[in-house]
Amino acid sequence: MKITDEILNKYLDGELNVEESEHVKSELQSSEELRKKFNTLKYVHNELFNLNEDEASASFTNKVMSKIGHRKFAVPKQQKYFIFSIAAFITILCLVIFGFSISAIISTSSPVSDSLNVLETVTVLSGGFVDFIKQLFSGKGLSILGSIFSLVIIISGYFFFEMQKRAKANLGNGHHI
Amino acid sequence: MKNFSDQEIIDSVLKGNESDYSIIIDRYKNKAFSLLNRMLKNEFDAEEVLQDCFLKAFNSLKNFKGESKFSTWFYKIVYNTALTKLSSKKRKIESEMSSVEDHFNLESEYDSIDVEKKDFSEFIHNTVNKLPGRYSAIISMFYLNEMSIEEISEVMQISVSNVKVMLYRSRNSLRDLILTSRLTKELC
Repeated sequence: MKITDEILNKYLDGELNVEESEHVKSELQSSEELRKKFNTLKYVHNELFNLNEDEASASFTNKVMSKIGHRKFAVPKQQKYFIFSIAAFITILCLVIFGFSISAIISTSSPVSDSLNVLETVTVLSGGFVDFIKQLFSGKGLSILGSIFSLVIIISGYFFFEMQKRAKANLGNGHHI
Repeated sequence: MKNFSDQEIIDSVLKGNESDYSIIIDRYKNKAFSLLNRMLKNEFDAEEVLQDCFLKAFNSLKNFKGESKFSTWFYKIVYNTALTKLSSKKRKIESEMSSVEDHFNLESEYDSIDVEKKDFSEFIHNTVNKLPGRYSAIISMFYLNEMSIEEISEVMQISVSNVKVMLYRSRNSLRDLILTSRLTKELC
């Protein structure tokens, strides 16, 4: 068996069987060059156990902990998206209701003749708007609107509850080690 | 407090006692910093990456199932973040990310006169820092962090035999450097 660098390393780590170890031992006794290689390898191996540990800066732990603290009070990305989507949904809903009511008023009210003055036009439009709102919040319209708002409130409530729960967990000073 | 196991501290952090995470940081910061410093060859980068690693670990703490030791799980984050940093900086990317079959020549880093001037420990320490990132990472994990070959293989996601090949190659290169210098007269 030729004594390669790999075998010397395995011998050093005690990974050879008894027979192989005996063979390496006898080769080491007979060859000065091999002995020199092995002794130097062993020296490197032992010296590597004395490697110095590099030290992070003294304020390192505080820096990381303060970043964790900042993260605790920051609104997470997902929550930001959720708040934005709810706000966008409500805005769009309001715009749709407003647009729909305007179009309904215009279509239901009698054509405004040129002779009518501005005050009369406003009175007619506002009267129509009030009628439309009344119509919307009664019977079929009310049930549709109610369903939409209930859904929004339930979803918002769930996320609000989750946010509260997380904040409570973060700020709680329960059982410390 | 320092006698508590990693798992006990993690459980406490997950219960909401986030300040206990500082015990984990104090326990691993220097060993992880040594590993990063040897891989990235730059103290500033090493500390920046280490901060990132502790924050990543904190954010993923609930995903740590305890299937492996916390140290192995954490060093995997450290090692992968270091590789990402290396590739983003495009610093010697080919040599750092190449296969286990790659070669390096430490002799070109030193001449025998330089070697003579340094004491042995300092010489070994400096030479380990000159090894390519993955090799110095193995030396650091094996000798400094006292990790087993199996744990290193899990961290680096390479086979056990490849870890051994790289470890042997690192030792051999250090030995050859000593043998070619006049230091060997004092040793043998």
